[in-house]
This record gives sequence, C-alpha cells and structure tokens, in this order.
Amino acid sequence: MIGPGLADKAAAILRRDVFTAMRYRSASVLTIAGVAAELAAFYYLAKAIGPSFRPEGTDYFSFLVVGTGFYTFLVMGIHSFLHTVQEAQQGGTFEFLMTTPTAPSIVLCLSALSAFSRNAVQFVLYLGAGLLLLKEPLRPRELGASVMVFLLSVAIAVAIGMMAAALQVATQKGSVILWALGSGAWLLTGTLFPVADLPRWLRSTANLIPLTHALNAMRSALLEGSGRSKLLQEIGVLAAFCLVLLPLGLLSFSYSLRRARLQGTLSSY
Amino acid sequence: MDVIAFQSVSKVFGHQRGLFKRAATDPSFALRDISLRVSSGSVLAVLGPNGSGKTTLLKLISTMLLPDQGRVLVHGSDTRRHAQQVRSQVGFAISGERSFFPRLTARENLEFFAALDNVGPKIRRGRIGTILARTSLLAMADIWVSNFSSGMYQKLAIARALMKPLSVLLLDEPTRSLDPVAASEIRTLVRELSAEGTTVVIASHNFEEVAAVADSVLVLRRGKIDAACGVSPITVEAMQSLYSQSTEAADIRDAACVLERVS
Repeated sequence: MIGPGLADKAAAILRRDVFTAMRYRSASVLTIAGVAAELAAFYYLAKAIGPSFRPEGTDYFSFLVVGTGFYTFLVMGIHSFLHTVQEAQQGGTFEFLMTTPTAPSIVLCLSALSAFSRNAVQFVLYLGAGLLLLKEPLRPRELGASVMVFLLSVAIAVAIGMMAAALQVATQKGSVILWALGSGAWLLTGTLFPVADLPRWLRSTANLIPLTHALNAMRSALLEGSGRSKLLQEIGVLAAFCLVLLPLGLLSFSYSLRRARLQGTLSSY
Repeated sequence: MDVIAFQSVSKVFGHQRGLFKRAATDPSFALRDISLRVSSGSVLAVLGPNGSGKTTLLKLISTMLLPDQGRVLVHGSDTRRHAQQVRSQVGFAISGERSFFPRLTARENLEFFAALDNVGPKIRRGRIGTILARTSLLAMADIWVSNFSSGMYQKLAIARALMKPLSVLLLDEPTRSLDPVAASEIRTLVRELSAEGTTVVIASHNFEEVAAVADSVLVLRRGKIDAACGVSPITVEAMQSLYSQSTEAADIRDAACVLERVS
C-alpha cells in the first residue's frame, strides 16, 4: 500500500522507535557523551597538528568534522538495516514483521529510515558543535549540491544497508562481516586524511568504495578548497552507484528472505 | 467452501547448502506429502507429539515457511505466489513470550502491528479497545509488556492476530500458559470466532481444549498424517485413544467420535 498507508506505517515505526529510545534513556545519554568526546578529541588532534596542515586546501578540523560526521552518519545508516533485522531476530519479532501484508522490504526500509532520521539529527548536532569550536564558521558553498549529495549518499547507504540486512538474514552473523568491512572502509574512504595520501594501489581500491565519493562530494559542497567541476564529477559517480546498487540491494534482500523461508531459518539468530 | 488446502505438501529442513557451509546437513522431513482441506468457519485441531510437524504446518499457512514440494492455498491463493494476499487474511498467534517490543505497552504494540497489517488509523484505536476487552487485557493495556506474565503474552499474541479483519486464525498452543479461567475464555472466543465465520487451526497437546473447540482433528506423527476425525462431538477419550495408539482403530471406534485412519 503506497500513499497515506505508507505514511501511517512510517509514523507507527517512528513512534515505536521514539518511545523505545525515550525508555532506554541511559543508552541515549551515553551516545551523546561518546559523540562529544569524539569531537573534543578531533579538535585537540587538529590543534596538535597545527594550522599548516591543510588537506585539500581546507582547515584540518573542518575536514575532520565533515568527514567523520558524514562517514559516521552513513555507516550508522547502513548498520541500522542490519540492526533492524538483528534486533527483530533476537527479540522474536522478525517472523511477524516479515509476514504482515506490508512488503518486507518496505518494513525494513521504514525501520532503517527511522534510524536514519535519528542519525541525521545527530549529524546536524555534530556539525553544529563543530561550528561552535571553529574560529571560522563553516559556510556551505553549494547548498543545493550538498542536499543532492546528501540524498544520493543516503540512497547508496540504503542499498548497502539492504545487502547488509540480506547478509544478516542469511548468516545471522552479518554484524561481524560488516564490522570488518567497515574498519577497512574507515581507513580507505579518506575520513581522517585525504585519499591522495594513500599508496596508488590503495587509492584505486578506495575509489571503488561509494563512501569515498560521498565524503569527497560533501566536503567539496561544504568546504573551501576544491572546484565545482570536481563536485559535479563526484555527484555523477554517486548517481551511477545508486543506479547499480539500489536494485542489487532489493534483489539480495528478497532472495535471502525467500531462502530463509525455505530453509526455516527466518527466526534463527 | 475450502479456505485452506494442502496439496501434497512436503517440508524438508537441512537440505540446502548454507551460505558458508561446505556441505548440507542431513535432510529431515518436517512434513511429508500432506494433503488436507479445511472448510470455512470450521475449527481444525492438530495433535501430535513434539517434533511431529504441527508448528511447521501452521507456519506454512502463515507464509513464515514455504513448502519444498506441493502447494498451500488460502482462499485459492498460493502461499508462494500470492504471499501478500494470504498474509492479509491470516492471523497467527504463536506461543512464547518473545515477539513483542518489551518497552512498549500492550496498546502501543498492537497499534504498531495493526499499522503494518493495514488497519487504518481511524478504526485502529476503537478496534484495539474491543480486542483488548475480548482477550481480557483491557486493564493491562497501558503497561509495558516486559512486565507481562506468560499468560498475558499469550493473550496479547491472540489479540495481535485478531487486529486485522482475518478469515483464518492460527493458534499454536493457545492456552499453554493460561490459568483455567483464562483458558476457558480463550476457548469461548475460538467458538465465537468460528461462529462468525473465521476458520481456526489450533496446534495443541490439550485434549480437553480440542474436545471443547474442534470440529475436526488431525494427528501428525513424524511429519505424516496419522489419523483424522471429522465428526463432532469429539471426546477426550477418543483423542486419548487416537493419540496413544492410533493403529488400533477398533478402540477408537468405541468412542463417540468415529475416527478414520488415513495412513
């Protein structure tokens, strides 16, 4: 059911998540404390390195805030698909969520998008706190382009998230695999330093990871330093990734779900 | 009219390779070549020892599982091809305490699942009140379900299954954790639903319960239909005979229910 029905379902899922977060208050407080500690660590790291280090022609703290903030937002978004499945498997709700008249992929996407919106608020607060610490305020150079980069990056995270969810349905141990991949991506995507500083062979690998282009594009849109042509090129690459990954994500999730129904592993965890 | 039909259905577990496993585990038949039909508004009880395939049979109707061979039809819709259509008509109350969000209240849990079951927001609130009253949970409506007893979970599972306008209700040991009064209420509810036209399939070990609600009985043993009875009234004695020694058909015929051996 599309339209008002979909909005009603999205609201129901959002309400569930808000109530649950409010009732697990200590977890929410610890998350905020962790984010604040990370931001402080980056601030002092940038200060220790000094103003002479300007990756891609921009202030290092800004580079770090945008890079780590956006990377964390996207990776947490990807993880939220996996966690949606994992928590439902462990809580015993998965079989029921996957056998309502609502298509399983819609249930999964709405659940993950609810987590995405929470992460988006966190990202905005993270950037806001970063702004407070910056002597020179962040001035978005390309506001329209940054929104486009944001949406394309979210679409890519949704696609990869669907694959991660498929992995969790198939193996029940998806988080281990995703953690291993996530650690590699953290090194390669240019979160803490420019990809240009990596050896050539690693640079080629980094360019195959969509998140590398998401971070490049977001930095280009928000920070001084890189040109418009580079931004447009990165937007093109992100759009191409979307076209390939979105159908792949949907197919892999449907396939793994069907397989689990045949094998009787839908409720396994 | 047949609401549920099994056409030579087999369900095998452990026959397919896992994603990272080198070899498949030994296949075991959970159900083997099952054919049955359940008519509209009737109550079918499925009996059988642990591991006989009762829950598998219910899960195949609910689309939680797909058959390896044969077809399962609900109102003529194949569970493989038209799963969404089947899901909109089938409610499933499985026994056990998991399957709800522990830090949501009973009302909030029902609201959440009802939204996914396409129950519109305008009628949802009223329906939740009605269903909670029908399952004797109204007084507990605004309490977190993590504080519920096993029996309350059981009732809430039934309440969830009843939220959508269903035509088939699947109950897996519905009174297992209930006190005698609550169990009696659930049996009355099952009879009421049947009278309203809902087809009910109950997996149970409780002969009294089956005798109280069932129109027909099916005994499963090692995934095969061992015996079936389609004549009311079904008595506890008849089922005891059927369950303990189904090969001696003569003993069973002495009882009020005439039982037909099918395997």
